[in-house]
Amino acid sequence: MTTIRMVDPAQVTGKTRAVFEAVLRREEKVFGATAVSNIWRCQGHVADYVEANWERSRALMQRGRFTPLQRELIATAVSVANACTY
Amino acid sequence: MRLGLDEVGVTELMAVTEHARAMSTTAAGLLLERLDDDAGLVTPVAGDSENEEVGALLAEIRAAVPPALGRREVPALWRILARNPRSTWRKEQVVMREGALGARDKRRVALGVAMSVRARYMVEYHAAIVRVAGDTETDLLEILGVVDHYTTLNTLSEGMQIESDIVPPA
Repeated sequence: MTTIRMVDPAQVTGKTRAVFEAVLRREEKVFGATAVSNIWRCQGHVADYVEANWERSRALMQRGRFTPLQRELIATAVSVANACTY
Repeated sequence: MRLGLDEVGVTELMAVTEHARAMSTTAAGLLLERLDDDAGLVTPVAGDSENEEVGALLAEIRAAVPPALGRREVPALWRILARNPRSTWRKEQVVMREGALGARDKRRVALGVAMSVRARYMVEYHAAIVRVAGDTETDLLEILGVVDHYTTLNTLSEGMQIESDIVPPA
């Protein structure tokens, strides 16, 4: 049971909308998503926050020398080590 | 998981993850904090162990580990574990070798896990190996960046009890 309402991408405007659109473009490309994933929707209640995390995600996960797979391997291992099932 | 890995690749990834996590616990449990530490909770075996099996195991470790780490000595962790049967060393060999995933990528994963569980000894250990293999400071920061960002996402996911909506490909 989630402890917070997932922000509806159809209802957002401004900064949050721009972030959600960028997230969806990214997630479509990476794993064929058809909707913004919950991990981003849950942050959408505070526009500056979701924007800051998205910018950091792009900086840390989409730029650099490693391939997306190499980064995803580490990400999955860390999530397992943190006992995170999402 | 959405890695595009087959079942062998996923099993290898999980093996590296649990092994790196277990070794982090082992190093901490032995009160080994820095890679330079020469003793912990248990005394390492001496280089000239009379026990034939232990001696042979130590020789095998000595041939493999110091060159990979770029150091002269076998770290205390392995000299302590050499007291036991070959189990941990054998597993290290099997889990960390080149397979569906590359050996260097596996070592980067292990480093990320050690960072994530704040196991200083194992951070130093795995970092030494990837550095000898050619990883730069920028590479180390890139690994830490992934750890950092996923610590964020994991915390949000747990704190908000987010339900998984990542559907595996059909």
